[in-house]
Amino acid sequence: MSLLKNSRIGGVLLDITGVLKDGGIAIPGSVEAVRKLREAGLAVKLVTNETQITRRTMVSCLVNLGYSVQEQDIVPPCPALISLLQHENLRPHLLVHPNVLPEFEAIDQSNPNCVVLGDAGDNFTYENLNKAFRILINMEKPRLFSLGQGRYYSDSESLMLDVGVFTAALEYAADVKAEIIGKPQPEFFRSALRDMGVVPEEAVMVGDDVVSDVGGAQNCGLTGVLVRTGKYRPVDEKHPTVHPDAIVDDLAHAVNLILKSRK
Amino acid sequence: MLLECIRSIGWKCNITRLITRLKEVIRMAAGKVPVKAVLIDLSGTLHVEDTAIPGAVDALKRLRHSNIPIKFVTNTTKESRRCLYERLIGLGFELKEGEIWSSLWAAQDLLRSRNLQPMLMVDDAALEDFSGLTDFKEEEQNAVVIGLAPNMFNYSQLNKAFRLLLNGAPLIAIHYGRYYKRSDGLALGPGPFVRGLEYAADCRSEVVGKPSSAFFQSALGDTDPAHAVMIGDDVRDDIGGAQALGMRGFLVQTGKYRPGDESRISPSPAVVCSHFPEAVDILLKECAQSGGDL
Repeated sequence: MSLLKNSRIGGVLLDITGVLKDGGIAIPGSVEAVRKLREAGLAVKLVTNETQITRRTMVSCLVNLGYSVQEQDIVPPCPALISLLQHENLRPHLLVHPNVLPEFEAIDQSNPNCVVLGDAGDNFTYENLNKAFRILINMEKPRLFSLGQGRYYSDSESLMLDVGVFTAALEYAADVKAEIIGKPQPEFFRSALRDMGVVPEEAVMVGDDVVSDVGGAQNCGLTGVLVRTGKYRPVDEKHPTVHPDAIVDDLAHAVNLILKSRK
Repeated sequence: MLLECIRSIGWKCNITRLITRLKEVIRMAAGKVPVKAVLIDLSGTLHVEDTAIPGAVDALKRLRHSNIPIKFVTNTTKESRRCLYERLIGLGFELKEGEIWSSLWAAQDLLRSRNLQPMLMVDDAALEDFSGLTDFKEEEQNAVVIGLAPNMFNYSQLNKAFRLLLNGAPLIAIHYGRYYKRSDGLALGPGPFVRGLEYAADCRSEVVGKPSSAFFQSALGDTDPAHAVMIGDDVRDDIGGAQALGMRGFLVQTGKYRPGDESRISPSPAVVCSHFPEAVDILLKECAQSGGDL
């Protein structure tokens, strides 16, 4: 295993789904790996495009799996979106998972002037997609926000379609370009790093999504490490445009590599 | 063109071959290639809803006297071949069911020719065209066909389709329409779902309906597209699609035709005529001039 080119590592961003856990199970070695990062004095944030559950639920889920995390350790896309909606006086039509609706309680949703897509899971019905489509097609300047643009994720060993698929569908139907909030949007990585007080050149991102996690982070100046867990598939190693700085079996290996690479 | 022709046979050719080829080239230049197949669009060309275009029934009869093989080509997501056939017979047209080549029919033709076992996301009414292809178990399926099936466009069915695609199953789209008009307003067509699945599995779909070249070629069989004519009212899907394959497109100014359509594609339609009967007259005149030989 060759060392990372980056030897001045001050902080690490970790994806949650497929790196810390797969479905309801902790990925072997990951709990210990996160502990080792912290013990080594590295700043750690969990950056996720997860929009099926609230941050609070995610914390209790991770704690149950043995992780020691708090709400401020997790960076999901919803808070960034909500501040953007407030800032621009936008009233969203929401097509999101029912579990995250409470996060939007303070936002006016009457007479919508934009559409927000999250990972709505079984809420992605024809009629719900149609409703979102009709709102877009009737707008003079349609605005579509998407919480991430993932293709799919791994849930207990079966692959599930992610929000990006339905975003692509609505983009095509209504001839609109979605505004992405979350990975791989550069601002999403940057704001997480600002919170940690770490510059991109001194940060590593570990994820199972070659495009969204690794490619997104590299575009921002971070070191990108791909793990062979979660949704990873061997073809990801031959991605035409994204070349990870390292490809390792799992988070435990990634952490060993990070710690060894530090000077 | 003359130089090209001479070059194509070489300088040491025999004079008879040269003259035959010259005749052909001159006819081609005058738009008079002998026609060996005619494809005819249905809705908007032969009929509008439940009314035949005036003179179209007789015009089809006249065209039949020329003995040029005919196929009726249409994009449909739910009407089976039999259903289309019965409508045309009811309007007074003379045809055989086997002359109908719809996008659904092209899809089943493609599945059979490649021996594929599909997951079918199509309207129940369309299943009739897929006899023998409807009952594969999930683990036997190795292709995904997408027509218009709102009751299957949901998370769990799309997930099933996606997993097949990840395993290398081809994605076959009946068409790529963005949306269509429903009694209660606009509704999503198959296109957005095809696009979504393409994104998910990082694959490209094969579109079997007009305007894809494969569709026109499958309707023509072994006939050289240069010897075939497409008559239709949709300048992009009928005329543009056919001409991209090397056919000649006859645009009729009925159905969905709007003034200015003829200049929307390049090259422009080979022929623009007011309606189907006029298209037939032009074709028959060409046949008479070419002596019906070759």
